[in-house]
Amino acid sequence: MKRFQKNIKLYIGFVALALAASCKPSIDLDTKGGNPENVDFSKYIAVGNSLTAGYANSGLSLKGQEQSFPNMLAQEMKKVGGGEFLQPYFPAENYNGSGFLYLKALVNGQPELGTVTDHLAIRGQTEDKKPLYIKYTGPINNLGVPGMRLDLAFVQGMGALNPYFERLLPDNETGTKKYVDFATTKDHTFFSFSLGNNDVLGYATNGAVTTDATNTLISEQTFAGLYTEFITKLTSKEQKGVVATIPDVTAVPYFTTVTRQALLAGVNAALKEQGKDPFSDIYIKTKTVTRAATDKDMFILPFSSAGLLGRQDLKDPATGIVNPYPYGLFIQNPVGDNFVLDESEAKMVQDRIVALNTTIKQVADSKKLAVADIYSFLNKVKSGYQINGIAISNKYITGNIFSLDGVHLTPMGYAIMANVFVDAINAKYSTKLGKVNVSQYGGVALP
Amino acid sequence: MKKLLFSILCASPSLLFAQGSQVNTQGVRALGMAGAGSALFTDETSIFYNPGGLAKMDHNAVSAGISAVMYRSAFKESGSNQVYNTRSQVTPPFSVFATFGPDNARWKAGLGVYTPYGGAVDWGDSWPGKYELNHLKLRAIYIQPTISYKLTDNFSVGAGFVYNIGMVDLARSLPLFLPDGSSAHAKLTGTGTGIGYNVGAHYNFDNNVAISLSYRSKVVTKLKKGDAEFTVPDAVAASFSDTKFSAELPLPASLNLGLSVPVSDKVDIVADGTFIQYNIYKKLVFDYADNTPLLQDTEQIKNYKNAFSGKVGVNYKANEKLAVRAGVGYVKTPVGKDYVYAETPDNDRLMGALGLSYAINDKFSLHAAYVLQKLKERTVTSPVTQIEGAYKTNIHAPSISFTYKW
Repeated sequence: MKRFQKNIKLYIGFVALALAASCKPSIDLDTKGGNPENVDFSKYIAVGNSLTAGYANSGLSLKGQEQSFPNMLAQEMKKVGGGEFLQPYFPAENYNGSGFLYLKALVNGQPELGTVTDHLAIRGQTEDKKPLYIKYTGPINNLGVPGMRLDLAFVQGMGALNPYFERLLPDNETGTKKYVDFATTKDHTFFSFSLGNNDVLGYATNGAVTTDATNTLISEQTFAGLYTEFITKLTSKEQKGVVATIPDVTAVPYFTTVTRQALLAGVNAALKEQGKDPFSDIYIKTKTVTRAATDKDMFILPFSSAGLLGRQDLKDPATGIVNPYPYGLFIQNPVGDNFVLDESEAKMVQDRIVALNTTIKQVADSKKLAVADIYSFLNKVKSGYQINGIAISNKYITGNIFSLDGVHLTPMGYAIMANVFVDAINAKYSTKLGKVNVSQYGGVALP
Repeated sequence: MKKLLFSILCASPSLLFAQGSQVNTQGVRALGMAGAGSALFTDETSIFYNPGGLAKMDHNAVSAGISAVMYRSAFKESGSNQVYNTRSQVTPPFSVFATFGPDNARWKAGLGVYTPYGGAVDWGDSWPGKYELNHLKLRAIYIQPTISYKLTDNFSVGAGFVYNIGMVDLARSLPLFLPDGSSAHAKLTGTGTGIGYNVGAHYNFDNNVAISLSYRSKVVTKLKKGDAEFTVPDAVAASFSDTKFSAELPLPASLNLGLSVPVSDKVDIVADGTFIQYNIYKKLVFDYADNTPLLQDTEQIKNYKNAFSGKVGVNYKANEKLAVRAGVGYVKTPVGKDYVYAETPDNDRLMGALGLSYAINDKFSLHAAYVLQKLKERTVTSPVTQIEGAYKTNIHAPSISFTYKW
């Protein structure tokens, strides 16, 4: 007993220590038997455009790459047998990559944007003064190339035209390599595929005005042919995968934020202060006529920041002569075609998207692939809903989903999108891929 | 461009001096039997367990005890392959009891200062439910002067007055994002007071079978002028200036019946049953002194149900100096399935306990106990965030106390 008495502090100490170490409750993970079709996640590659690369706020940064949806997906795959997922990261000291937009201030609730210009990963310039980014030619799994289109993926030498593709290629391949060959020779076991957006949205975001190969509108026939060819190559060894549908233009704030009414309200508020009469119309130039805009015509987001409305010092692009009529407010000086996706253009683009999505689903079906329906997902976002206690919608900035460029997503948006892929893969292959923790990722950063 | 309207459901924090944080650690002797023993022990800890038993003491005593309550919870969102654990937090409830009274008098007075409810959960700021709760620390200190009187040699009654000082520290993430990408958060700290009482009666038959009946009143702790502090982006700082808040936190009334039966000279068997009137806890309202469009008063529905607990234990006097004991208990949760919040992801719980007392000499004795509570796994949908997931909780509470008697 004496001994017990002597050592009691020691005993208590031991007990306390043992308890502190062993008292974690455990919850079983429900992953067993969750792969009846033997889906092989060991080498997952992500084929796609800017959304796949992690592009946001009109730029690609190291942080954006880290928070790309394929990376989130790959981390979940790792928990159920997936392998390493390598991404073409910008160097740590060049973490701002291409540079990007940030929110400088909110003035009376209006966003004021700035551009990040330090710690860029720019290594030089092309002959036509476009930036060249620091290269990454090691092995990678995230093959997302901002700006990549399905049709351009089959064009030889795209590296010379697209700096994000160029940085992934050794010098001797820049002028020769096709993206489709680059993407289908990685010896993958699983893939995600989300090309096709830019084949429509490139056209739409330029107000349905074509100036070069990046803003043409792809035909249904061309799309079907190329899509089938690409997917056939990706599934040549019976690989499984997931493909994404193309979002509707009316779902993204790039087209829905700047409205006719908001523009008029802004102009008329200023006129009221000066005691002048308000305007009731904004005039736009369409491909066929010049007319007053309706609420069904969509002004693109950059039209607002360009600050052109009402200006009287702008030169007519055709004649080079200054047009003295206030820009957009008089029929004599309408808003340029490239700033407006007018009603009929929007209709055409929307119909095309629906048609292409039908093709995507048909091809996916025939190759037994999962379909991540981004079209439906962003349409759901459009009407707004709550997730993890956060209100999300397609509203610019406050909707939490879209980054400052109005097209690409915030980290939170990408996380929710990753879960659309998770759900699609699990539904198709009865796998037990885990959900991404959306709460870990933020929306638009406020100053 | 559209005017930016931030529609943020702001902090509707939830404080709860209740079941989830309730770990009764006042008497280390009773603790060794999972909290049973209100009928068996007539000593200074009767101030807490049953003021009616206090007058049965044939001596005076002072005791001081401390516990390390480790509340460990785990959460897994449905469909996720990631389990989130609360960070290890130790809250040290303490208790001090002292009795006063002349030898052989029919009455005994006492003072207890103790922490009946103390809990700390820290989920951190990367778990799925962070927009509901980051952390919650609670501490309630009860100060209870008590008087007890022996009506007959076998029957005694007693009553105590309870003055409660409650302290709270709570933080929650807000869905607004700072330039570095991290989320904004709200932090609420405050102190409140409340009053109540504690009465009881104790009867022992000549064969040493004893019965204890006690009643604790509800104690409504009123927090006034608590501090609400916000870490938010500068752009919205005007809508989140630091302000004051008030709230009311009810602690339920409870009725306890205890029985102790000696089965031999050395062995006593005890049982306690408690009925807890939790249904007074209907909702929790937070009233901010300065409301803005973004910062509105909040109301959380709690709708607690009345609950009960049952505990049985055995006490074995090994020799003159040493007594060892063990007990088990079951606590029915008052928290309905639709009202499970992250600060107390409660469920029915099982308790197991071990304890000992050792008399160092005539005057000093030492008591130690260890209680493990296991809360059953519960899959719920959060009433705040609508996240569906499973909670599981273990509570470990080692305790130690010293008594000096004369």
